Amino acid sequence: MKVKIWQWSGVASWSWVANDDNCGICRMPFNGCCPDCKVPGDDCPLVWGQCSHCFHMHCILKWLNSQQVQQQCPMCRQEWKFKE
Amino acid sequence: LSDSLALLCSHGLGRLLGVWLLETLQVRLSSSVVPEFWSGLRQPENELEERDRAGVLLAAFRTLLDRLEPFLGLEKLGLWQEAGRGGLNGPGPRALQDRAFTTIRALLLFSPPAVLQERVLEFYSRTFSVYMNREGGEDGSEAPEGPDGAACPGCAVPAPRCWCQEALEQLQDLSLIRARLQLLEWVSSEAVTSILHRLIEQRMEQHCRGEYERSFLLEFQEQWLELVLGWLGKVFASEGDGDAAETAPSAPGVHGSKPGGSVLKQWRCHMHQFFCRIYVNMRIEELFSIIRFPESKPAIEDLKFCLERTNQRQQLLSSLKSAFESRLLHPDMADSRRINSHIREEESKQSEEEQPPLALSAIILSSEFWPTLKEEKLELPAVVCQAMEAYTRRYEKLKAMRTLSWKPHLGSVTLDVELEDRTLTNLTVSPIQAAIILHFQEKTREDTVRQIVAGLTGDAEACNDLASELSRGDPVTLEMQDSDDEGNDPEDWTPDPTDAVPKLGSKRRSSDIISLLVSIYGSKDIFIDEYRGVLAERLLHQLNYNTAEIRNVELLKLRFGESHMHYCEVMLKVHTSDILTVYISAIKALRELDPSMVILQVACQPIRKYLSWTLEELSVKLGAPKELVHRKLAVWQQHGVLREEAAGRYSVLETGSSREKVDRGVMLIDSDEERDSNTTTQSEQREEKLQLFWAYIQAMLTNLDSMTLERIHSMLRLFVATGPVVTEMDINELDAFLQRKVREHQLIVSTGIYRLP
Repeated sequence: MKVKIWQWSGVASWSWVANDDNCGICRMPFNGCCPDCKVPGDDCPLVWGQCSHCFHMHCILKWLNSQQVQQQCPMCRQEWKFKE
Repeated sequence: LSDSLALLCSHGLGRLLGVWLLETLQVRLSSSVVPEFWSGLRQPENELEERDRAGVLLAAFRTLLDRLEPFLGLEKLGLWQEAGRGGLNGPGPRALQDRAFTTIRALLLFSPPAVLQERVLEFYSRTFSVYMNREGGEDGSEAPEGPDGAACPGCAVPAPRCWCQEALEQLQDLSLIRARLQLLEWVSSEAVTSILHRLIEQRMEQHCRGEYERSFLLEFQEQWLELVLGWLGKVFASEGDGDAAETAPSAPGVHGSKPGGSVLKQWRCHMHQFFCRIYVNMRIEELFSIIRFPESKPAIEDLKFCLERTNQRQQLLSSLKSAFESRLLHPDMADSRRINSHIREEESKQSEEEQPPLALSAIILSSEFWPTLKEEKLELPAVVCQAMEAYTRRYEKLKAMRTLSWKPHLGSVTLDVELEDRTLTNLTVSPIQAAIILHFQEKTREDTVRQIVAGLTGDAEACNDLASELSRGDPVTLEMQDSDDEGNDPEDWTPDPTDAVPKLGSKRRSSDIISLLVSIYGSKDIFIDEYRGVLAERLLHQLNYNTAEIRNVELLKLRFGESHMHYCEVMLKVHTSDILTVYISAIKALRELDPSMVILQVACQPIRKYLSWTLEELSVKLGAPKELVHRKLAVWQQHGVLREEAAGRYSVLETGSSREKVDRGVMLIDSDEERDSNTTTQSEQREEKLQLFWAYIQAMLTNLDSMTLERIHSMLRLFVATGPVVTEMDINELDAFLQRKVREHQLIVSTGIYRLP
């Protein structure tokens, strides 16, 4: 007997490689999206700071825009710098 | 000059006159006029003021006109005279004049320095913008009225110094002069063309780009074209006027009644063509975003209209194709299909060896938004796992900081099953079913070779038939025997006629089990090596030397050939050397005598035995529960590929078409898939939800010590309001749940107040 596989259609689910489950700002899951978005993934990406905390991009931008004086990470209060 | 001309004329040498005139013109032009013109043009090289440069340009042309004026006048004279003579001299007056102008053009523009083009272009663009401003100013949109000091939009200098008016006058002058010299078209058409092209491009960029819900064709025709033509009219109409003024007295009708009009018409055509081309180019660039059908219909209509005129269909197609390729496969668009094709594309770029062993595609889910999927363990064949790993790696490269987790039991597999006498094509089965059948195919099941060898050497109790098969002798003798008359003496055998139908071949092949096994595994070396291992073990562990081994080696030698068994022979010889020969001859004799060793079943039962799996083995191998495996196996039984034998063993039914039907009838009872949903059932979800509540309840009771049912309910509604799983929870339901917890001794209730034990 010989079995020839033409096509194997698998199923996989994606998830962010983050060190936490939820966004520290909106408390929504990282694998979901921020409250303003509808579609997770490319539409609502995560960003990492140099302090290694990560947030939904939209959340941290909102936070940074609301900070008048200094741009700090909302988790550790270090100066917020985007990690490349 | 006039005098000499008059003189000549009076001599009636009209013919000579023409020639002379041209000669003088040429000489004069090349010696003084042209250099003067160019130097006049170049002289203000270092002056920066655009306005002045425009003035210089005009001046240069003026001088040129001045210098040539006498000729033109004279020419006229000559023409008059010649015309008066009734065109006796062949070529006629018009030809002479044409030649004169040709000479001028030739000499003047023989090598027009770039500076002229530059100047002309600059001048025209300036006047054009001035003009556009004036005309466009009527809408009021393009001329922002700023406070004083703002730049005049037309000439781009502070308003107080605006020279728009002047520029327009200069334009008028320049046009007239050029028209007089019939230089207009030659000098300015290039400049005008480039200005117009730029204009259209600009306009297009401003107005049309990204705007698909309006048709621009009409707008273009009505507004811009009129506007531009107005300006063109100013540039060229003077020529028309000049020409008309010039030609009217001399040769009416020769030039046409409306030369300016025809020029304009020509330009209009040109503009239109050009518009179409630019429009198509632009739309081709953004074609991908136009595809939003009902809204973008006007744009598409326009495009269609323009395409008909510009012959760019091919360009459009190739551009659209590449747009599709690049956009749809763009990593930013999260869709499994795109990712799949992207990954497929990447794979196809690789060389042959690096190609993944399996065509794997995936449905990629976003974990938070799908219903909870049933988790089932399933060990997939290595080849699939590798493909999945490769896929994951590619995905991770594609999407930074993300990873995939596979659900091995979900999905579908399309495969062909090729059996000895039939082929099942294009079956679509679930991964577990595919994994099952692949296990039956797996030739490298680690212990099969060992088992076969054990069988061959007569160690395994169950498979004496293999051993006896081996003892039947070498393949050649075997083939002789099994034609039709099995029990016959080998001596009676006569070879098949050379032209015998080879249909017996298959039967023969299947009858020689050992050959078949060898062919399944591709090489007898596997068996020989295995046997060497077995032999070594036995020899090292058995102090009692077993003569059976000698027999085995001897038989294997017959089967596989002397040279292959050489090592084993040497291994045996280390132990004994003398008894060997005795035994061998005895065995040979024995084999010839014992008929039971010769007559054997022809069917391939033994092979199946070694290519068979029990349900338990499969379940372990697949890491999936037995019931599931059993359920999934049914599909293969229905297809007649697998067969359940005694003792729960499953084996491949290589040749079973006849029996297939019977089996099928039985198997249909076992038909599965009835409750094969991949998502968790409602009750499971409910359970999950309750577990979440339980966590909250525990936390509350830890903090608040004791609570009533109502309190718990209202607190839960307060806290557990969000999330995908949680729906309204009925107080009765909560009550039942809490009662259950009480029964499970996880909660204590007294007089309606709950607390933790």
